[in-house]
Amino acid sequence: MLATGITKGRRVAYGIFGIFVFMCIWYLATKYTSLGSVMPDPVTVFSGFFAAFVTPIGTKTMALHILISLRRMLIPYAIGALSGVLIGVLMGWYRFADAIFMPYIQMLRPIPPIAWIPLSIIWFGFDEGSKYFLIFLACFFTIALTTYNGVHSVDETLIRAAKMLGAKDYQLFTTIVLPTTVPYIFSGLQVALGSAWATIVAAEMIRSSEGVGWLIVRGQDVGNMTQIMIGIVAIAITGLLITTIMRGVEAKLCAWAERGK
Amino acid sequence: MSSREALIEFRHVDKSFNKPEHGEYQVVGDLNITVRENEFLVLFGPGQCGKSTILNMVAGFEMPTAGEVLCQGKPVLAPGPERGMVFQNTALFPWLTVMGNVEYGPKVQGVKKEERRKRAQRYIDLVGLQGFENSYPVKLSGGMQQRVGIARAYCNEPLVMLLDEPFGHLDAQTRYMMQDELTRIWQAEKRTVIFVTNNIEEAVYLADRILVLRNCPTGVKAEYDIDLPRPRNYTDPEFLRLRREIDRVVDHTL
Repeated sequence: MLATGITKGRRVAYGIFGIFVFMCIWYLATKYTSLGSVMPDPVTVFSGFFAAFVTPIGTKTMALHILISLRRMLIPYAIGALSGVLIGVLMGWYRFADAIFMPYIQMLRPIPPIAWIPLSIIWFGFDEGSKYFLIFLACFFTIALTTYNGVHSVDETLIRAAKMLGAKDYQLFTTIVLPTTVPYIFSGLQVALGSAWATIVAAEMIRSSEGVGWLIVRGQDVGNMTQIMIGIVAIAITGLLITTIMRGVEAKLCAWAERGK
Repeated sequence: MSSREALIEFRHVDKSFNKPEHGEYQVVGDLNITVRENEFLVLFGPGQCGKSTILNMVAGFEMPTAGEVLCQGKPVLAPGPERGMVFQNTALFPWLTVMGNVEYGPKVQGVKKEERRKRAQRYIDLVGLQGFENSYPVKLSGGMQQRVGIARAYCNEPLVMLLDEPFGHLDAQTRYMMQDELTRIWQAEKRTVIFVTNNIEEAVYLADRILVLRNCPTGVKAEYDIDLPRPRNYTDPEFLRLRREIDRVVDHTL
């Protein structure tokens, strides 16, 4: 971690203080400047956000909107993670796989998921399929490439040490290459989780009647600024929660990489 | 010397590397060495003269360009558990604990858990690391890490131990301590050892026999039998005399 020399408690305190200051500026700006005519104040947004847990927006309460969107994200994310790790390992380990897949990955990766919306509707219909496809695209390439880099970062001396100790080829793979790659896979999973969640709005632009992205799209259709902001807050808070959980899992599984304190 | 005693033999070994910037670059030229069973052999020579290459050829990491390297009369063609190596940079597996590192060799060879744990524990105790079985290498000091490296190589019960400047990265105090430790371990658990160093004092302190190597392409320049009793004393007059004598034949131009 770069933010050393500061305790965890202090870090949280600074964070909360920062949010508080931001909220004050937001509140004052909407009350006393012309910003108020194009943006609701934070009290309205947050009370609306929490009220939505009790009073449904559309047909669902906030908890359901969030859970439905999470499910929509996690299924293609899991598929993207599995296939990304698989393709990344194949490309890292076998030169022919590198030669075959790498050009496609480099070509397709820069295309933003949103560009695939028309085609994905034709291929997968208006239901969940096309939404899964967009989110899959948002995470697959990142995970494949970080895994690939992980396999390439294997220390040649460790391979020698393992051979000297009697490891066979498949054991070099399972006991040296995979463990070396795990931290890379995790950083890929972490970044991809963020992109997958960020793509939920684009995915729910394709016909939907619930979900945090739908809140925004629907808010735009009916000109409800507060609902748009509530949708943004829901995405932000949920995003913070899932990446924090992910980081905790990573810290547990990659404890060996932690420097001695 | 009877032929039964010869464990490792170099016969007219040449080794060249193809480096893009130098072209063909000869590191070892017509090297002939016989390593006897259970002797502590030190290869001593200046800087980059190919000492590590010699060890790498015994380990099977690199193949000779000409000539042959024999282990128990059979040519060395690949790395194998009968030739254990202790690396200068330790090359410990950072994701495994001390126990995980030491038992790695028996584990990949399919030794049952209970037996390999017992064996690993014996070598962890031998190198004085009891209590650190569940620590990860990053939590250990340099000297302790290298003890793990030694225990890991020993745990495969190899015929020959190859040590490539294992104490090169340690500070002077730790280095002295590790030299004592290595002598103690070697006396407790006799193995054939080939130890590479560029430190004369270390060579005289540890060796049964020292081969002084010449600069590239390297070969044996001089040979010394060291009969001093162990543990040795760095300030013993005979120790100092040997040190001076060997120093005189070393090529100091790099």
